[in-house]
Amino acid sequence: MKDNRPYLYPPLASRLFSVWFRHMRVYTKNIFSNGLPPFLEPLIFLAGVGLGLGKYITQSMEGLTYIEFLGTGLLMTSAMFTASFECTFGTFIRMEFEKVYDGMLAAPLTANNLIIGEIIWAGTKGFFFSFAVLCVLTCFGIISLPRGLLAPFVGFFTGLMFSVIALLVTSFVRTINHFNFYFTGFLSPMFFFSGVVFPISNLPAYIRPFAEILPLTHSVRLTRAVCASQYNWYLLLDMLYIIAFILVIGFFAVNRLKKRLVY
Amino acid sequence: MSPVAITVKNTSKSFGKVNAVANLSFEVEADTCYGFLGPNGAGKTTMMKMLYGKCTRGEDGSINVLGYDPAKDELAIKYLSGVVPQDNNLDEELDVISNLMVYSRFYALPRKAATSRIDYLLGFMELSDKRAARIRELSGGMQRRLVIARALMNNPKLLILDEPTTGLDPQVRHLIWDKLRQLKRHGTTILLTTHYMEEAFALCDTILIMDKGAGILRGSPAELLAQNVEKHVLEITGSHSVEAIADAAILQKVRIDRTQETTRVYCDDDQLLRQLTGRLEGAHYFLRPANLEDVFLKATGRALNERQ
Repeated sequence: MKDNRPYLYPPLASRLFSVWFRHMRVYTKNIFSNGLPPFLEPLIFLAGVGLGLGKYITQSMEGLTYIEFLGTGLLMTSAMFTASFECTFGTFIRMEFEKVYDGMLAAPLTANNLIIGEIIWAGTKGFFFSFAVLCVLTCFGIISLPRGLLAPFVGFFTGLMFSVIALLVTSFVRTINHFNFYFTGFLSPMFFFSGVVFPISNLPAYIRPFAEILPLTHSVRLTRAVCASQYNWYLLLDMLYIIAFILVIGFFAVNRLKKRLVY
Repeated sequence: MSPVAITVKNTSKSFGKVNAVANLSFEVEADTCYGFLGPNGAGKTTMMKMLYGKCTRGEDGSINVLGYDPAKDELAIKYLSGVVPQDNNLDEELDVISNLMVYSRFYALPRKAATSRIDYLLGFMELSDKRAARIRELSGGMQRRLVIARALMNNPKLLILDEPTTGLDPQVRHLIWDKLRQLKRHGTTILLTTHYMEEAFALCDTILIMDKGAGILRGSPAELLAQNVEKHVLEITGSHSVEAIADAAILQKVRIDRTQETTRVYCDDDQLLRQLTGRLEGAHYFLRPANLEDVFLKATGRALNERQ
């Protein structure tokens, strides 16, 4: 039988897209239950602050009212949490329980393609979740467009950062319950010590350097700058940190996780 | 001789201290069906996974699949092959048609071509009325057929099936056998593992019996039968002693294989066995031609090993 196929195998971009497409289709299959919560969550948060907590916090934070300060932080925490869930529980379930990856790896995809497609998908979710928060913040007049429109792009990179570290964690995890350590031991502290709920300048001086190590700190600083259109040279350092974090942690994550997929 | 689709030479693979595959060599001719038989843990699945790069192979040896080395060109091999893994790994969150549409993207099939290919495959595997069904609503047999349809997405030259019909009812099994025969006739090379001897007998042109990672017997089903086992078997259930009814002259001509509840007397001469049955008063017995299962048990032994 003569074979006249157009190529030896699909090109890289097509392979990465196909992985992304698979995740997108599964996610949008339940568009209501998957798509609504990202809008509801910030709504509930802002209601809690606006109706209750906000009355007690009258001091401005980094020149913002408290609701502005917290709102811009939430743009990033939502991206952080969605990418983290996607690449811990989500990845683990696809890998160990549903065996979806085994099916995908029988198609013309390498383990690297699959993992990188996964990372890009997590970035996309970061974008979407930030966008959802942005919509809510805009509706309440907390952020003014069009400057805020850049925030989802920072959300994309935040999604990438938290997906690579989540995948690295996943590569070590043997039972799904171990992720609880990651969430309570790493992500919850990050929520409080990255300048989301209060400025890190309020932290004791000896803790501040630690806050600078945390990835979320840099996302949040970048987002606030974007939303306020207040650019400064040190934002370049934040960007540099984000890029370096994605590349370095991503390198280890891909290489470790690959060994669990192809053995 | 037809061209060779797969050549494996002196390939080994170990997981820690376990040698899953030990210095295995074999060759699969194009457009034939090649079957791996062997107890659980014999290394069949590992061998198959090495062919399409899901497992890395040990340092020595070489593998060539459709002209490519899986260590270097796994993508080319995967593009030309279809794989039906041991466990169904369909996307449970998607319906039948979406499962196939998503899979068609992996091969970068244009949407229109994918749609018509999927229509054809659903028809071929007799699943056309299940297009919109969710995976959970499908029976085990339908899920299996869907996994096979998915493997056929890119019109593969090589189809790899790991226990394609385990746990399925006879109707579905026969349907799958029919489809596999059709595929073979149209130029697909088929590689399969199975625990069902009748499946191997029905489909395979060549069979390789593996045990503890090594190939121990190979040949066509007919050759394996002719060369490795007597033609006839007398199966006696209960604790009858053959020695009590057979004299030394007969005992010399037969081979006896005994488990707790069954005694099997193997012999090329069925008249002799028939003679024996006359002396088996009141015992349950069954005289039958020897089959692949007898070859298999003889080759791999009756006792369970630590991997089973």
